[in-house]
Order: sequence, then structure tokens, then C-alpha cells
Amino acid sequence: MKKNILTYAQSIKEALQQSMRLDKDVYVIGQLVNYSPGVFGTTTGLVDEFKSIRVQDFPVAESLMTSMSIGMALKKKKIVLVHHRIDFMLYSMDAIVNWISLWRLKSNSQSNLPITIRAIVGKGWGQGPQHSKSFHSWFANLPGIRVAIPSSPFDVKGLLIESIFSNSPTVIIEHRSLFDNVQEVPSRMYRIPFGKASILKKGKSLSIISIGYLSQLALKISEDFLKKYNIDIEVIDLRTISPLDKKAIIKSSLKTRKVLILDPSWQSFGASAEIFSLIYENSNTKKILVKRLGYPDSHTPASSYLENKFYLNEKKIKNVIFKFLNFKKNK
Amino acid sequence: MSFLRVNHNNIKNKKKLIPRDINIKKSTSLKLYKFAKKLRIVEERLAKEYHPANEMRCPVHFCIGQEAVPAVLSLVLSKKDFLFSHHRSHGYYLSKKSPLKKLVAELYGKKNGANGGLAGSQDISYNKNNFYSGAILAGSIGIAVGNAMAQKIDNKNGITVVGFGESACDVGLFWESINYAFLKKLPILFICENNNYSVFSPQNKRQAGGEIFEKVKIFGRYSEKVFGNNICSLYKKINNILKSIRKKSHPFFLEVLTYRFSSHYGPQNDIGIGYRTNKEVNFWKEYCPVTMLENKLIKKNFINSNTIELINKKFSKDISEAINYSKKSNFSKKLNIYNLNYNSITDYKKEIVKVDKNVKTSIASKKKIIGY
Repeated sequence: MKKNILTYAQSIKEALQQSMRLDKDVYVIGQLVNYSPGVFGTTTGLVDEFKSIRVQDFPVAESLMTSMSIGMALKKKKIVLVHHRIDFMLYSMDAIVNWISLWRLKSNSQSNLPITIRAIVGKGWGQGPQHSKSFHSWFANLPGIRVAIPSSPFDVKGLLIESIFSNSPTVIIEHRSLFDNVQEVPSRMYRIPFGKASILKKGKSLSIISIGYLSQLALKISEDFLKKYNIDIEVIDLRTISPLDKKAIIKSSLKTRKVLILDPSWQSFGASAEIFSLIYENSNTKKILVKRLGYPDSHTPASSYLENKFYLNEKKIKNVIFKFLNFKKNK
Repeated sequence: MSFLRVNHNNIKNKKKLIPRDINIKKSTSLKLYKFAKKLRIVEERLAKEYHPANEMRCPVHFCIGQEAVPAVLSLVLSKKDFLFSHHRSHGYYLSKKSPLKKLVAELYGKKNGANGGLAGSQDISYNKNNFYSGAILAGSIGIAVGNAMAQKIDNKNGITVVGFGESACDVGLFWESINYAFLKKLPILFICENNNYSVFSPQNKRQAGGEIFEKVKIFGRYSEKVFGNNICSLYKKINNILKSIRKKSHPFFLEVLTYRFSSHYGPQNDIGIGYRTNKEVNFWKEYCPVTMLENKLIKKNFINSNTIELINKKFSKDISEAINYSKKSNFSKKLNIYNLNYNSITDYKKEIVKVDKNVKTSIASKKKIIGY
């Protein structure tokens, strides 16, 4: 049988297509979703199969778009909203924060909102400060909203299908830099539960707990360390940060006693601080060393030269690991 | 010159332009009267109980003076229609045939309130009857537009109604909503209850460029303004509008000039604040929707002092019973708060989805990702 090798973008499209075929109440709404480029290929062709009523282009009115999804969900529609950049989605903060996140609670669990918000985060090639912010920790801070940051074609398909059929409001943060990565993906439908991290590589000497695209970078780095220095690093991709797989984080930390947290966002007041405190609160008086790496607490420069200095990269992360392990390369 | 030129600024000088209420079928006018009267009695009684007893501990926005729209909606909406309300929600809640006892118990924060005491007055909903409210002004307008989109898709003759104050028209989302509803010809009635005040601040301090309904008209022809305290006229108007919306699927914006006698929030008299005068309040009390209808029905011999007495007694009894019921009811013992959110792992046993669940979640680690 032919292998189903898909890019991250194609995997999203396959998830949407299969979900829409399975359930006529699944709707995809967003600016330009029914044009041939299809939001970086993630919605290309859907309109031909499901017509423009189920694949709806939308005016530049993000606030209304998100509010509308609530009203549609009340009539049993399962809505997938698409934002080319998460930065534009901020117009819909009222709908997300004041309405969606607390809707079920204030109805005393009588009313559910099956809403999935796909928000894309740009990186590289001069995206600049208004196209590159990743607000996963903002949304994870909010009760009642689930947050996923899938790092592979496999994960994005399973988490997207899970969100669509879960009856829960979800924000899926997609890092644009992952869209061309390829992987073999099951051609059938499957769901990945929220709150279950994926152990990308087992190891004993150090745990890397990472989020989003940095998980794939961490995997590469850990493979290098094993090959070159025979150091086995454990890599945990959180996949979802709300809910958070606390068990996996604690278990790995207690095992290796050395943890590096990688968070693709500003370091202060973010997800890395949350993970950091989780580890310490559960350290059982054992000594565990924790370090974290995120972005500087400032905005992304557009210039590609300066941009490289801003983001985390292989070299920066490796240097931190060397120091962390007291390891001298020339030994 | 017509009523369309009358607004809160000039109404005191343009009394002559205020139209008289029309005559409609006896049975309908009696139903309208009973609903409006009930709402007035309920709200006045709740206001009395609210403070200083302080057992209802949530912000309550009473709708005393603004009974007309809920009275009309109580006759023209069916169960499949969705109604979205602003924070001044009690009238709308009752107009959707939601139970009075559950409303009052909700205000008391009790377990058997409409939302188990979790929502309170300004966020109350009654999911079973498709009624929802909320306090962040224009939010529910956008939600209602989405609901109307779904009504149109389902094509089962259901429509959506959203009520809000003129203050919500200050918000950008209101204009996004109007634009999209007219663009897509959605089956929705926007009812703007213009009572002039955003808490204390009058419309002319907040909005430029004339009447709201005229601005909306630029988006499409279905936009009108009416005097809001003539209940029978309002009934005829809204009934006709809804018939047309059901038949042809289109939005309609109806600006309803009205006035609240109660303060913005709570039961206290707010004249001392200085944003409005006794003279102004008294002017509007001459045009009280409930009293005007009552006088009209007396004149036509549909009711007399005896029947009014009976009606008053019945509704007073209803609200007393609801208050006693609520006071006796229990609070939820447990704060089950985490289960009410979605911030928990999906319970697959409860999910009814026809998808393959037999996927090992660790596959990801075994399949090489190319790109890094």
C-alpha cells in the first residue's frame, strides 16, 4: 500500500476534509479559506467539495467572526475558525475571553460550544513584530479554553480531529515554520487526547520539555548528543499546554533531575514559568536543576539578520546544554 | 413632520408627534397587558427585596419602564427561535416562557436557579428555550448574527432576535454585525431599546451624526424607528416584521424609543446623581407603557378595577411564591467548578463520535519527520 506521506499543511487539510465528510455540521470559516492558496494549503480544494456555505470566506471582521461561531455552535454546528496570523485574532479577544471561555460554566454545563480556532504563528523571513507572536500562554491562562501546539503532521491531524469532535472550545496554535515538514500520517481518522505529552526520545541524563516547533529542534539536538557524545537526552513534546500533562513532566524530571524547558515565546510570565513551578512543587525534596529558554522579553525584529539573534537556534540551545551538563566539548 | 425626527433630545418639545397607540384584537391586547403588568409587579417586588436585605448578591438591572419589547416578544416568538438579551435581562427571560421561580432562585444564587446560581441576573440563560443573555454590551449581537446564519442554513423557518441598548451601538462589533447580516440577508431582528443612557451618559455625548436607524439604513432598507411605549402598535409592528423575516429571510433593525424609570442598576432612586431631572422622569411616566395600556383597556371596557385587582393579586402571589421558594432553596454544596469548564481531559466514554480511536499516541516518535 502506498504510504500516506503528508506535509504539516496537507495533514491539516486531510483532517478538515475527513471531518467534513464524516459530519455535515462541520464548518470552516476564515478570511480567504475558499481561494486556491487555501491558507498555506490547509484549506485548498475544500470549497469544491463542500461548497461556499461550509467553507466560508469572511470579511476583515475578526471580532464578529469569533462571536458568530458561538451563535452557530448553539445550533449544533462544529466550527473551525482560521486566522492567517494569530496577531489578527486579537480583535476577537472579547468573544474568546468574555464569552467562549466561560459559556459552559455560566450555563451550568447545559450549553456547549464546539469551536476550534486555528491560529497561525509566523517566524523567520522578516515576519516582524506583528506577524510572529505566539500567545499560547495567554490562552492557557484562561480556564475553559484548551490549547494545543502540535509540532508534527501526525499530531496536528489527531489534535485537530479531537478538537472538532470534542464539544470543547480549543485554540490550536500552528507554527508556520512547520508547514512544509513531512511525515507518514495514518490515512484513517484518529484523535489525540489533550493533556497527553509525547515522549519523542527516551533518555537519562537530561530532560528537555518543549513546546511547538522547538520540540522538533530538541529532537534533532538530542540525536546529535547521542551520536557525538553518547549523552542520552529525553525529549518531551507537550503537544497541549492546557490541559498540561503534569504527570509526564514530573516523572521525567524526577528521573533525570536535570530539566531544560524550551518555550517559543517571551520568557517572562509564560508557559516555562508554569512548568518550572510545577517541577519544584513536585520535586519531593529531591534536588532537581531546571533551566529555561525562551525569547528575549522584547519584540521580533523584521531584519533577517537581527531575527536570527532574537530566536532560539541549535547553537544557543546546545551551548546551554553543555554548560548545564558541565560538559567540555574538547574532552 | 413625523415621529422619525423625534429623539430623546427633543421629545419634550414634540409631544404632538408622539403617536397614539392603535387598537388590536381584545384577546391579544389582554395578553400583552398581562405580561407587561406581571413584569412590572415582578421587577418592583424584586427591587424591594434586593436591598437592604442583600440576599440577592449579584448586579441586577431592572427593566421598570421598558416592559413593552418583552411583552411583545412573549407573543411572537416560538420555541425554535433564539433570543439574545442584554444585561437588563428579566423581561426577555420571561418572554421566552422561562420559569419565574428559576429566575428568582438564580438571583439568590441557589442550586435550582436557571443556571445553578453560576450566572446571576446579567448572564442568565435558559438553554432549553433558546434564551441567552450577557453583560458585555455588543457581544451578544455578534453571537446572534452567527445564530441567524445557522438558522438560515438549517432553513426551518427559525429566526433570531437580539435586544440591546443604544449604547451597544457605540461598539465596533455592532457595525460589523449590521454589515454582515445585511450582506448575507440573515433572518434576524435587531431591537435597539434606546433609553438614552449608557449608565449616566446620554446618547448625544457619545454618538455623532444623527439617528442610529438612519445610519443602519445605509446598509439596507430594513431599518425603522418607532415610539416604544405603545405596546399594541409595537406588537403589530414586530409581528409584521417577523412574518416578513420568516418568509423572505432578511435582517431588520428596529430602534425603539423608550425610557427606564429604574436607575441603571439596583433599586435606588438615582436623581441625586444629577444626570437626569425629576421633570424628565415625570414626563416619561406620563407615557408609561403599562399605565397607558391599562387606561386604554379600561376605556374599552376590556378590564375594570375588579379584574385589575385580581390580576395584581395573582402576579403578586406568583412573585411572593417565587421569592419564598428561592429563599428556602439550597446553595450548591460543592464547588464543582473544574468540571464545568472544558479544561480537562476528554472523557472518551462519553463521546459519541464515529472515529477510529485505536491509534497509539506514541506513533509520532517512530515516524521520522523530514524538515529539520
